[in-house]
Amino acid sequence: MIKLLSGMVLGIVLTGVLAWTQAGAMMFNEYESPFDVEETAARIQANMQALESNGWKLSGIRDPGRAVAASGGNVLPVLLVEACSTDYSKPLLKDDETRILSILMPCTVTVYKKQDGKTYIGTMNAGLMGQLFGPKVAGIMSKVAADQAKFVTFDPKKPAPPLIKVKPGGGGAGGNDIGGC
Amino acid sequence: MERIYVFKRFERFWHWAQALLIIGMMITGFEVHGSYSLLGFERAVDWHATMAWALITLWVFAIFWHFTTGEWRQYIPTTDKMVAMVRYYLTGIFTDAPHPFRQTTLRKHNPLQRIAYLFVKLVINPLLWISGLLYLFYASWAGWGLGWLQLEWVALAHTAGAFLMLIFFIVHVYLATAGHTPTAHIKAMVTGWEEVEGESEQQHAATGA
Amino acid sequence: MNTLIHSGWRAACLALCLVAAPVLAEEAAPPAAQKSASAPQEVVAKTGSSTADHGKFEELQREFASGPEVTAACLECHTEAAKQIHTTKHWTWEYQNPVTGQKLGKKNVINNFCTAVSSNQGFCSACHIGYGWKDDNFDFAAEDAVDCLVCHDTTGKYKKIPGLAGHPTYKVMEWPPKSGKFIDPPDLQKVAQNVGPTSRRTCGTCHFYGGGGNAVKHGDLDSSLNQPMRYLDVHMDAKGPNFTCSTCHVSDAHEVSGSRYSPTAADTEGARLPGQRKPGSAPTCRGCHGDAPHPTDAKLNDHTDKLACQTCHIPEFARGPLHTKMSWDWSTAGRLDENGQRIKVKNSAGRVIYDSNKGDFTYDRYAIPDYLWFNGNIEYTLFGDPVDPDEVLEINRFLGGPDDSGSRIWPVKTFTGKQPIDAGLGTLAVAHTAGKDDAAYWGNYDWEKSLTVGMASVGAEYSGELGFVSTTMRWPITHMVAPKDDALRCKDCHRDNGRLAGIDGIYMPGRDRSVLLDTGGGLLALLALAGVLVHGGGRIVAHRLRRK
Repeated sequence: MIKLLSGMVLGIVLTGVLAWTQAGAMMFNEYESPFDVEETAARIQANMQALESNGWKLSGIRDPGRAVAASGGNVLPVLLVEACSTDYSKPLLKDDETRILSILMPCTVTVYKKQDGKTYIGTMNAGLMGQLFGPKVAGIMSKVAADQAKFVTFDPKKPAPPLIKVKPGGGGAGGNDIGGC
Repeated sequence: MERIYVFKRFERFWHWAQALLIIGMMITGFEVHGSYSLLGFERAVDWHATMAWALITLWVFAIFWHFTTGEWRQYIPTTDKMVAMVRYYLTGIFTDAPHPFRQTTLRKHNPLQRIAYLFVKLVINPLLWISGLLYLFYASWAGWGLGWLQLEWVALAHTAGAFLMLIFFIVHVYLATAGHTPTAHIKAMVTGWEEVEGESEQQHAATGA
Repeated sequence: MNTLIHSGWRAACLALCLVAAPVLAEEAAPPAAQKSASAPQEVVAKTGSSTADHGKFEELQREFASGPEVTAACLECHTEAAKQIHTTKHWTWEYQNPVTGQKLGKKNVINNFCTAVSSNQGFCSACHIGYGWKDDNFDFAAEDAVDCLVCHDTTGKYKKIPGLAGHPTYKVMEWPPKSGKFIDPPDLQKVAQNVGPTSRRTCGTCHFYGGGGNAVKHGDLDSSLNQPMRYLDVHMDAKGPNFTCSTCHVSDAHEVSGSRYSPTAADTEGARLPGQRKPGSAPTCRGCHGDAPHPTDAKLNDHTDKLACQTCHIPEFARGPLHTKMSWDWSTAGRLDENGQRIKVKNSAGRVIYDSNKGDFTYDRYAIPDYLWFNGNIEYTLFGDPVDPDEVLEINRFLGGPDDSGSRIWPVKTFTGKQPIDAGLGTLAVAHTAGKDDAAYWGNYDWEKSLTVGMASVGAEYSGELGFVSTTMRWPITHMVAPKDDALRCKDCHRDNGRLAGIDGIYMPGRDRSVLLDTGGGLLALLALAGVLVHGGGRIVAHRLRRK
């Protein structure tokens, strides 16, 4: 009996440890990009614009490395490409239960260089995130996940599109300096 | 059963402190060597060096203690009962045969222990210490007239010493359970008191819990 | 004083950066020569610490029609200045390497950027410290041909334009050609009355724009160093120590210390106090920081026998907003559009990646250096040296190795290229690229004519066989010293496939190990473990059996 119990406890602990160590990796997806940081970001923007039918609009591009530089430090290049789709944001913002998920808006894809000199793309695992919040959110987020997969699929035969230096606030920015999404 | 006081207070402190330091140095040392990532290279190097100095300090006291107390004689090798000890570990320990060696305060290590500890003290430790200190004082070699020395040789010697220490450690920890009961030796190393079987009780002594 | 003048600028810059900067880094200032008239107004600075106000000098109370006229006025007081300049590399563009005996200098070296000066002097001499070097007839003994202003201007208004043989423009001029932008001639009187010490900006006028544009050549020198923030360079930090180039590159009689042709790879003289500095003393890190620069970590000091300071302390180059050029393929040059017009293709960030004049380019920012052993000697592949078109040709080879106590591991920028060779002669080609004649490659796109004229300018006859060879050229990385927190960490090199994976001849803990020893030792330890487990298991089993 004691053996059985201790076996179970051990199993639970091991599962917990495994979940603990793997959970972080599961929340996000990382891909390697064949292009440099700026071209990768520009191609992602082009892919986002190509999905305008799903409501996607570019809402900004950020370089968090600049704030680090201003404080006197160095980090390898990184760009945050932001987009928002009211098709997906509206139902989440409508419902009190899910309004807190506005924290995930706008949808951000990060592009960064690592020590190996290569460019990487990071996205949130929207599908997994959605499943944590019930069927309605899961349905929306699975669509976001499908679109995200298209954001990071490139056609190398196409020439490099220009990077669009949108200010945050795209998608219905008002006159009060606050962006729409 | 008779109880004798074999390990004095300093000796026990020395043993356990040394055990901790050696375990710590093996963990950090093999990380510096690149065998795995645990603490991070930088911290592993720092701790390894700090523990090295602690161990050296401990050893200075231990050497002093060994010579002032005459305890160094405990490590003089002997062949007396050595064959019996080997036979005990190979067969006797499985059949509850009596332990062939009778501990006294004057002979607290069995002949296999004597030879093993002597090997640690005369081969493994000096190998680790000399190569380790050279490693640490890499920049001073030229000043010491050792400009011809290659870091690679020193590093390989140090690594070889580390593997020997690891092997010693594995066997030593296991044999600590090979007393007349599995915990007898360990208890003795903690309390200092070893239970020794009297002549008349030998037949009935039990091994295993 | 400078501080006051630039404070407005800086405040603006800082404000821009402090906001979480949602816009992308704009390209820093365009090449000086390309600055349009709409460039921000800069207030003329008076050198507050100087005992002389050049604005009060009688010799300068007049109109100047040309640069040489200004120089003549300068020389009335500074009688020896031109003679001093005449002996320097800045003037001769020649350098004889005392170790290899090779004749180097910009005049002689062929690189894998714009390749060669010969036959293109009128263009290249925009960065010559003189006036009028348009062809081989230039008089290198002429004193008034020395350009004092390009180094001593403090107004930021004095620009030398490529194609004018080292002169500034003396009339309103469209620049770049066909750009629709016009630049005014500098007010030479005002510039002359406001001369002062050299600055990052004056040195940078040429050194930031090497290779044909801002940030192109060196990787560790570009216009972001005009007003650098701390992250970019701890010494030049405009709000901190604010070093100018001459703080380290101390000069004596106009001879500036430091050399790309024979750098000091390992300075073992220790820190030098002012009285201990010899003229021409190399501007090294250790010249100030000494041999044991890490006061709290002796282990780091142990590295100075093998590593250049730069290896850890300049973890990446081109860390400003600008990208540096990493490759240049001349073999694709000359592709024109359907109307026979020059093509320029831009990448996502708006940088030109193809130009009919020049071929294909690639760029990088926060570029990770290559590392190599270097003892300060560099061997060049010069005109006439044999070239194998099937091998990658090293334009320059950094000499040194692990067994040479004068060598250190250095970070370098490796610039790769593909450039024309005369396949018949089996040597690097000298191309005539710039000029208004019909042989200049730029505009005519005819290698035959370009190489005929180019090769003739160095006394050779073009064989008519055009070829291209892949090349590499190394540039030591020594500027853009990062704050110490951003230096490389132990783990960046002490690991498999770390920064120094390609460095041979040394044992590095964490990177190197003996496979034999590790396998053997590990195996023995495993055997010991297996042995005690089996033995222990046997005891347990035997014990149970007996109990039954």
